Amino acid sequence: MAVDKRSARLGVLATVSLLLIGLLGARLWFLQGVKSEEYKATVAAAKTREVFVAPERGRIFDADGRVLADNQRILTVTIDWAVLRKAKKKDRLALLERLSGPLQTPIDDLMRRYEPCYNMPKPCTKKQQFDALLPLPLKEDVDEPTVSFLKERSEDYPGVDVVEQYKRVYPYAPLASHVIGFTGPITKETLESYLAQGYKRNERVGQFGVESSMERELHGTWGRRVYEVDASGSIVRELSDQRVEPIAGFDVQLSVDLDIQQYAEQALQTELRNRRNLPIDLAQLDSAPHNPCDIKTNCKTRVLQKTNPDGSKTDYPEWVQHKAPAGSVVVENHETGQIVAMASYPTFDNRWMESGIDGTKYKQLFPSKNADGTPIDPDLSILVNRAVQGNYNLGSTIKPFISWSALHSGLITAGTVWTDEGTYRLESIPENECQDKGGKARCVFKNATNKRTNLPSAYGNVTVSDALAVSSDTFFYHLGEQFWQLSEDLPDQRSLLKEDLERFGFGSKSGIQLPYEWKGRIPDDAVKAALIKKKVLAPGEVPRLVVGDNVQVAIGQGLMAATPLQLTNAYATIANGGFLLQPTIVKAIWAPLTPDASPAVADLEAGTLRKSFDKPTIRDALEMPPEVLEPIREGLHRVIRGPGVPGHGTTGETLFKGFPVDIAGKTGTAQGAASLPWNDSSAFGAFGRTAEMPYTVVSYLEKSGYGSKAAAPVTKCMFLALSGDVVPDPVFVSDPLDLNSTVPAAQMQLADPTCLGIVGGGDLGRG
Amino acid sequence: MALSFMQRKPDSGLGNIHSSKSAPGRNIDYVLLFAQGALAIIGLFVIYSASHSKTPPGGASPYDFFFVTRQEIFLIAAVLVMVVVMAFDYDWWKDHARFLYGATLMLLTLITLMNILQVRGTETVLSFDIGPLNIQPAEMAKFTTLLMVASYLSEDNSDDLPYHRFIIGLMLVGAPTALIIVQPDLGSASVLIAMVMGIMLVAGAKARYIAMITLLSIATVGAAVVTRVVNEYQMKRFSAFFDQNSKDVAMQDVLYQGRNAIRALAIGGITGKGWLQGPITNAPKDIPVQWADFPFSAVGEQFGLVGCGILIGLYAIVLLRIWRIAHLSRDLLGTYLCVGVFSMLLWQVFQNIAMTLGIMPITGLPLPFISYGGSGIVTFFALMGLVQNVHMRRYR
Repeated sequence: MAVDKRSARLGVLATVSLLLIGLLGARLWFLQGVKSEEYKATVAAAKTREVFVAPERGRIFDADGRVLADNQRILTVTIDWAVLRKAKKKDRLALLERLSGPLQTPIDDLMRRYEPCYNMPKPCTKKQQFDALLPLPLKEDVDEPTVSFLKERSEDYPGVDVVEQYKRVYPYAPLASHVIGFTGPITKETLESYLAQGYKRNERVGQFGVESSMERELHGTWGRRVYEVDASGSIVRELSDQRVEPIAGFDVQLSVDLDIQQYAEQALQTELRNRRNLPIDLAQLDSAPHNPCDIKTNCKTRVLQKTNPDGSKTDYPEWVQHKAPAGSVVVENHETGQIVAMASYPTFDNRWMESGIDGTKYKQLFPSKNADGTPIDPDLSILVNRAVQGNYNLGSTIKPFISWSALHSGLITAGTVWTDEGTYRLESIPENECQDKGGKARCVFKNATNKRTNLPSAYGNVTVSDALAVSSDTFFYHLGEQFWQLSEDLPDQRSLLKEDLERFGFGSKSGIQLPYEWKGRIPDDAVKAALIKKKVLAPGEVPRLVVGDNVQVAIGQGLMAATPLQLTNAYATIANGGFLLQPTIVKAIWAPLTPDASPAVADLEAGTLRKSFDKPTIRDALEMPPEVLEPIREGLHRVIRGPGVPGHGTTGETLFKGFPVDIAGKTGTAQGAASLPWNDSSAFGAFGRTAEMPYTVVSYLEKSGYGSKAAAPVTKCMFLALSGDVVPDPVFVSDPLDLNSTVPAAQMQLADPTCLGIVGGGDLGRG
Repeated sequence: MALSFMQRKPDSGLGNIHSSKSAPGRNIDYVLLFAQGALAIIGLFVIYSASHSKTPPGGASPYDFFFVTRQEIFLIAAVLVMVVVMAFDYDWWKDHARFLYGATLMLLTLITLMNILQVRGTETVLSFDIGPLNIQPAEMAKFTTLLMVASYLSEDNSDDLPYHRFIIGLMLVGAPTALIIVQPDLGSASVLIAMVMGIMLVAGAKARYIAMITLLSIATVGAAVVTRVVNEYQMKRFSAFFDQNSKDVAMQDVLYQGRNAIRALAIGGITGKGWLQGPITNAPKDIPVQWADFPFSAVGEQFGLVGCGILIGLYAIVLLRIWRIAHLSRDLLGTYLCVGVFSMLLWQVFQNIAMTLGIMPITGLPLPFISYGGSGIVTFFALMGLVQNVHMRRYR
C-alpha cells in the first residue's frame, strides 16, 4: 500500500509543522497577550526623555517695590551626559577641545565637570556635583555670538545644547545684604531634605537672610517636558499631555525702606569709623577712652593695670583708641512690628556669592582663619547679622523694663524715693560674708564713675523717673535685690524679674523671618551652671544664681544678654503702650512674576497680593496702666529733654538740645572685658512719642564707648531721617561688582554727618 | 491520515467549478493562489510601514516609497517566472533538471572561485549582476536542487529508500549546500537542508538517516565556523543568541536589534497600535533593515496578535494546500516536489518568525512572500509555480 505509506509519512511532516506553528503561536501569545503591558512600560520609559524646566525664583522687593533681588536670564552651554559617556576617551577629549575655544575655558576645566578628578593630583576626593538627570552644564553665562557659533556648527558639537537659566542679581547691593542674604549650592547635610522637596541636585538655594528663611515661598516648582525620543536619543516630538509648566516662586516684599536702610548703614559706618579714628587729644577728654591716674599714688600710676603672666603689673596707657569694630541699627515701626531698617556691620556685598569666585578669593574676602591658622577675631566676622545674632549686654537700656516690673508688681510706685549715695551695699548678705570684710560675696556695687572726679556719681533722692533720666545704678541695684528677696519667698524657685523680662520678649527668639536668630539669655541657675561648664565663667563661681547676679541683671550687665532686635521690640512695647508685637521683616507676599514699573522697581499696582503682614501680630499685651507707664515714659523723655536731678544733667540732654523730633530714649553702656573703658559697648534705644513718628530705633556699637557717645548720635540721625528733617541720599542701582576688589563691601558714609556731631563732613580718607 | 476533506475531489461540492481533467490551466488551486497573493500584498504594506519613515545611513530624507516600489517590480517579475514554471509540465522540468542543476553548481563554483581569488577585493560575492538582473545562485539552487533530488528519488517509484539512493540524494543536495556554506550563506544552506530532510522523510528514510543528515549539517556548520568561512557578522548574530548579556559592544548592537524587534511585537498587544502608529516600527531608526529581516515585528506592533494570527493563518493555509497537493499528486515526483517546497517554506517561515520572537538565533533568512528582496520573492513564486504545476496536472 504505497499510498498509505506516503500518507503516513506526510502525516509525520504535518505533525512536525503543526508543532512548529504551535510553538510560534504559544510564544506569540506569551509576548503579545501576557507580557505586552510589561513591554509597553519598558518601551515607554526608554522612548521618552524628561527635561526639567527650572522655575524662576521669586524676587525680593523693599517696601516701595524696589527690586532687591532679581533674576537675570543667562545662557548656559550644556552637553548631554550620554554623549560624553558613550564616546571613546579620545573622542571625548576632541569634542571638549573643540568646545574649549568658543567657551574660552581650558579643556581641563571642562573635563573636570564631567570627571572631577581629571588631571588632578592624587589622592583626589572630589565628587560629582552636577545632577545626572539634567544636562551637564559646561559654561554659564555665555554671550549670544558664542551661542550662534555653536548652533551653526551643531554637527560638530553633538549633544551640546544651550539652556536658559537664571542668575540671582542684587541690583542695590551691598545695601541690606545681611537681611536679603544670598543663595548657594545645597550643602551635603541638607541635600536629602531638599531632594525630598523636589529640588534638583545642582540648584542654588537660600543660604542666608530672607533668601534662606523665605526659601519655600521664593523657590517655586519645577516644570517638566516629556519628549519622545528614538533609539539614537534624538527628540521626535513632545508629549504635550505630560507637560508640566514650572511655577515661579512668590515675590517677597520686605518692610525695609531702602532709603532709611541706606541711611542707617551710612550712619553706622560713619560713626564707627569716627569712634575708631578719634584723635588722641588730651583736650578732648571724652573723645577717647581715658585711663585715669590713680589718686592714691599721686598720679604716679594709672588706675587700670594688667597683670602679666609672671605676676608683675603693667599700666595700661593713658589713652587707648576705641576699636569700634562692629555694630547694628534696627528701626521698627512699633505700631505694626515691621522692621523698616536693619543694618549690621561689618557688612558685605552679596553679589560676591553669585559671582563664581574661587575658593582662594572667597577666603581672602571672608576669612575664617588668620594666616597662622587661629580663628579670626569674632569682632570682625562678616557673615553674621548682628541685629539678630549679636549676644549683647544691654547696659542701662534695660532699665525701663526693670522699672515696669517694679511698678507693675507694686514693689514701688511713681513716688517712691531712694537715696542714691553713689554706692550700694547688699542688704541681704551678712557683712562678714562680704569681700571687703574678708568674705567671698561681692556686696558693693557702684554707680558709673564720674570722669572728672574719678568717683561714683551720687544723685541724691531719686524717684523711678529720676533714676531713668540720670541712669542711677544704685536705684536699680536696690530693685534687683528686692526682686531677689521677693523671689526667695516664692515657691518653686520662680524669678519674678526673669518672668517679667520674658514678657518683653527677652530670652526667646522673636520669630522674625531671618535665619540663625539668637534667643538671648536671661540668667537662671541652669544658665549659670551651663556657662561655668562651658568655661565662659570662672570655675570658682557658684553654679547657681546669687543675689549679686540679680543685681547685675537690673542694670543690664553680667549674664543678661539679648540681640538688638529683641531690645528694639521691647522698646516698641513701651512705645505702643504694652503690646509685644511679632517683629516682621516681610511686608507682603505677592503672586509670582510681578511686572516691573521701571528698571529695578516692581509695579506693585499690577501685582497680586497673596498675603499681607501689615496687620500686627500681638504676642502679648503687657499691663501698662498710666500709673505704671507714665513714670517710665517721663523718665525716658527726660533723658532726651532733661531736666536731670539737681547737680546732674541727663545722659542725652546735651546731645539732643533743640532736637526737632519728639522722642524718648535711654542710653546704655555695656561693660566689656575687664571693665576697661575702651571695651565699653555703646547702646541707645529710643522711640517716637507721637503718632506721626511710630518708630523705635536701637543702635548698638561694639567697643565704641558710652551709650551717649556713639549709639545715641546714630539714633539721633535716624530720627532726623525718619522725620524728614534730613533728606537721605537717593538710592541708586549699584555699579557692577568689581571682581578685583579685595574688600567684602565698599565703604559707605553719610553725606552730611553733622547730626553725629562730626563737623566738617565725613572724609573717608581721614585717619 | 484519512482526512477526507483533504482528499475531496476537486470537481465536487465547493471545488473549482471550472476544473477539467483535460485542461491543466483550469486546475489551478485558487485557494493556494489567493493565500499566496494575499501574503505578497500584505508584504507590500508591511515593507512600506517598516521602511517609509526610516532614513538611509548618511541620508537626509527617509526612504518613503523606495522599497515598496522595488518590491512591486520584483513581484511582477516573480509572477512572470511563476507563469513560466507553471506553463511546462513538471515532467519537462524533470527532464531538464540535470542541466539546470549542473548550471547552478557551475555558477556556485564560479562564485566560490571569485571569492577565493578576491575578484572584488575583500567584498564577499553572493550574486551575479547582469544589468538590472541580479542572480543569486544560492536562490536558484533552491529550485534546481529540489528538481534534481525529487527527480532522482522518484526514479524508483518505490515507497522504500535504499541506502545508495539515500546517499546519492544526500550528495546531490550536499554539493550545492557546501558551496553555499562556503560563500558564506548559512541561511540558504539551512533551507536546502530542511528541504532534503523533508523529502527524505517522505521518501521513506529511516530515522537513523534523518539523524545522519542532522549530524552532517551540524558538522558542516561547525567546520565552517572553525575554519572561519562564516563571516564575523553572521557569527555574531548567531552567537548573540547564546550570550544574551554580552559585554561586547558589537554584540550588544545585535542583541539590541533583536530585543527591539521583540519589544515592537510585544507592545502591539492583542489588537496592535494601528497602521503606521507603531512607536518603534514607524520611528526614524530603530530596527535596522526591518523590512527584510523583521517584517513580522512590524505586523506585530501595528496589528497585534490578531494581525500575526491572520498572517500565520495564511501561511497555514498555504502549507495545508501544498500538503494536500502532495497527497493528490499523480506520481511520487509531484509529491516530492510539494514536500520539498513545503519543507523549505515551513522552515523559512518558522526560522524568521521564531528569530523575531527571540526563540531562534538571528539569521538573514527572509520571511517568504513578505520580506523585501527580489531573489527571495522570485524563488518562492517559482517554487509555488511547481506546486501549482503538480496540482494542474494531477490527472495525467
